[in-house]
Amino acid sequence: MRHATTIKVASVVAAMAFTLAACSSSSESESTAPATEAASTAEATASANKELSVAFIQGVIGDNFYISMECGVRAAAQEIGGVNVSVQGGQKWDPALQQPIVTSVMATSPDAILIAPNDITALQRPLEEAAKESKVVLVDTTVEDPSFAVSQIASDNVGGGAAAFEAIKKMVPEGGQVLVIDNQPGISTSDARVEGFEGAVGADPSFEYVGVQYAKNEPAKAAEIVTSTLQRYPDLKAIFATNIFSAEGAATGIKQAGVAGDVRVVGFDAGPAQVEALEDGTVQALIAQQPYQIGYQGVMQAVASLRGESTESTIQTGFTIVTKDNLATEEGQAALYASTC
Amino acid sequence: MTTPIYEARDIVRTYGSVRALEGANFDVYPGEISALIGDNGAGKSTLVRILAGADQANAGQILFNGEPINLENPTDARRRGIETVFQDLALANHLNPIQNMYLGRELMKRGFLGSLGFMQRSEMRSQGRAAFSELGATVRNFSGPVGGMSGGQRQAIAVARAAAWASEVIFLDEPTAALGVVQTKGVMDLIRRIRDKGIAVVLISHSMPHVLDVADRVHVLRHGKRVAVMDAKKTNVEELVGAMTGALDGEEAA
Amino acid sequence: MSPQTESAVSNRETEASVIRQPLGARLGHLFKSQAMQIVLVWLAIVMIFSALSPGAFLDIANFRNIAISVSILAILGVGTTFIIVTGGIDLSMGSVLVFSGVVGSMVMESLGDGEGWFVAIVGILAALTSGLFWGLLNGFLVAKAKVPAMIVTLGTFGAALGLSQVLTSGIDLRAAPEVLVDSVGFGSLFGVPSLVIIATTVVIFGIILLNHTKFGLRTSAVGSNAEACRRVGINVDRQLIKVYALAGLLAGLAGVLNLSFFRSTTIAGHSLTNLDVIAGVVIGGTSLFGGIGTVFGTLVGLFIPATLRNGFVILGVEPYWQQVVVGAFLVGAVYVDQTRRAANSRGSTRTSIYSRIFHHKSSTNTNRKES
Repeated sequence: MRHATTIKVASVVAAMAFTLAACSSSSESESTAPATEAASTAEATASANKELSVAFIQGVIGDNFYISMECGVRAAAQEIGGVNVSVQGGQKWDPALQQPIVTSVMATSPDAILIAPNDITALQRPLEEAAKESKVVLVDTTVEDPSFAVSQIASDNVGGGAAAFEAIKKMVPEGGQVLVIDNQPGISTSDARVEGFEGAVGADPSFEYVGVQYAKNEPAKAAEIVTSTLQRYPDLKAIFATNIFSAEGAATGIKQAGVAGDVRVVGFDAGPAQVEALEDGTVQALIAQQPYQIGYQGVMQAVASLRGESTESTIQTGFTIVTKDNLATEEGQAALYASTC
Repeated sequence: MTTPIYEARDIVRTYGSVRALEGANFDVYPGEISALIGDNGAGKSTLVRILAGADQANAGQILFNGEPINLENPTDARRRGIETVFQDLALANHLNPIQNMYLGRELMKRGFLGSLGFMQRSEMRSQGRAAFSELGATVRNFSGPVGGMSGGQRQAIAVARAAAWASEVIFLDEPTAALGVVQTKGVMDLIRRIRDKGIAVVLISHSMPHVLDVADRVHVLRHGKRVAVMDAKKTNVEELVGAMTGALDGEEAA
Repeated sequence: MSPQTESAVSNRETEASVIRQPLGARLGHLFKSQAMQIVLVWLAIVMIFSALSPGAFLDIANFRNIAISVSILAILGVGTTFIIVTGGIDLSMGSVLVFSGVVGSMVMESLGDGEGWFVAIVGILAALTSGLFWGLLNGFLVAKAKVPAMIVTLGTFGAALGLSQVLTSGIDLRAAPEVLVDSVGFGSLFGVPSLVIIATTVVIFGIILLNHTKFGLRTSAVGSNAEACRRVGINVDRQLIKVYALAGLLAGLAGVLNLSFFRSTTIAGHSLTNLDVIAGVVIGGTSLFGGIGTVFGTLVGLFIPATLRNGFVILGVEPYWQQVVVGAFLVGAVYVDQTRRAANSRGSTRTSIYSRIFHHKSSTNTNRKES
């Protein structure tokens, strides 16, 4: 019978789902089924003895930056003790994917939500709604009106952009043409980095700024931008790539054009692929953010708020300049982004 | 002698250097079954396509009820009451027999609802069932998809659909080619009933025994020309094969 | 009908009047339908998640949120169902959605003070028109230029998105009249969110259109056998163009709703929307090969991944596993469709997975023995 087939297939898949759910629930920290616990936790006021639930919604999954942030979140949770962490995120940087995740997380009534919003207006109302039941901390990116949030924690991106220029100036003291490859305009973090860089390069007459191009988080696009820019500006001396995918792509583009060593690349972020590029000389410096710190501080702020202690509304984390010289040091190693926690 | 309901005179059709039809003739009278036979490449399919409106002749005349006509497309032919069932049956496999019967000729509801696209479904269902049973085509399941039915059922549905809409002439291209003995008999009976309604039936077939069994006249095509017209009761397989292969004199038959 | 047939038929009409199946058989037929089976699958998923986390999952607010997240996809799903029933496919819907939102936002921003219902309605019409334009383009290229639908819509997927970025320099527009955001984006009627009401209306319209009108019947016919349709005088090209135009129009509507809900044109988003919607259509029982499909099935088919994702987030399952399970459902649904098609085309009675796997081999052996 046809419906027997469907029921059988569905039962198999449902059984899979059940097993996976049971497996991942038990692989979480020592606590039992999180959802039922969370429901009752939300009703009680937070006190030092009650177990706290923190939901961390990444900007996008599979990104070393957010994995490092997760490590910081878990470390803080471990340190405080009695904090249950769950991590979710969308496959792509897409508010249409993130919004259902937010509402699903809200259904578990967590004590706190740490989130990197995918859009400044799209997540405004859903997060305002969430803030009614949970403490919301904005990490990395922000929204139009963050007044509902307990705290906003992000890198000092303007300073980071300026630092990128400093790194270029050290490598190319005689000056020259410089290009910026960004993700896309309208994202607060990368916009600030470009702003910081443009301010710094504008103040220095020995450098010519040939503009900013957008690679939309696609390494292939970034590579294409590099090869076509080199056609137009053969005297290009340095490239500032504002995020991990742009830097990966820029390195590829330079290799493709055969100018490795002549064109310096400064990347923002320090994932495994970029560290490899740093090691084999295609990228000369990395401006590493401190996502671990962001995640760590995020949990700290959330728990402080839950305990009625004072919080800081804005925290700006710093950055580390990683070059081949300091890569092997403890400081250098600590600055790199994680692939697992 | 009455005029044939449908006649082709000196039809010529060339495709580049290939001369598919070189002055072919054909005629059929109401209430008779005329079989069109010929070896592969004789021009049967080409002639049928032209008479069905799916192709245009390079030269020659087509007469309908004695009047010369020009068919631009199959719809022209259908409008005159000429229907064709090609070998692929042209059935929409996912639709049921009723929907197939009324495909392209759906009964719309009257007035505003009709202009919105609503059909008279119960009307089509009852009229369709009646049309099938009137032709003796027993359809086992009127709401199931046609694709799931046996070859004989599908053939019967395709033939019955054409017969329901054909008021004058119906062309059947190899209707029993893929069928077994019992199913073939069913289709043959259906063809006779169509003839009995007064419709002119043109049967294209490779099977001599079936042709001799059911046809009134047999037209033989060879090298794009009609070489013989026989009375089915007075001829036999050898004669027909002889005409097809040219063992007989290749003279035009009256 | 021919006069002979008509007279014969009218004689029989009194005999053949109202032949209805007994109630039991009709109910049985209903439960065997693919759509009903999918509903049962969804109910099974709901029951499992409810058992695993009753407090969080089995909650009106939670189901309301699931419905909201499915609303825009459902509107796209109606158009996509029609396209897939014709044997085509549409990869451009996400980009057309974004483009329509961009056009709508630009138009509304430039009108007067950018507020009020008049502005909103003009903006909606602008968005619908731009969606319709892309739909007509898709349809024309598929029907007249005979370019395969996958290639055409892959092209318009890129083109619509590219044009959106050109128009906005890549920066999301956020202009939308407050009335639109408040009433459509976040409003509700008797506790039912406006988005859900609008989506439900579109779905009901789609169901009626596909199952009860000539347009819907011819859509199935074209997907089932386009050549047969041509032979009976149906203008297949025009039918295809209309179908793609409908889908484009609905994508335009989805673009407005997207803008109202997110107060952003979300240019970076909706890159996976096309696959999500197509997955929903397939899980819902519509065959990718065309000819058969239901809008209701698509609706349920969209609910299944949305419910799965919601439940998994509630249970704390890692996002990677969520993708695996949703993918498994998709493959399972296509397999079921294949089985059904094979059974239909051969009139076979053996359709259970067990017999298909284990008896298939032995029948081959038998053939070899006989020859």
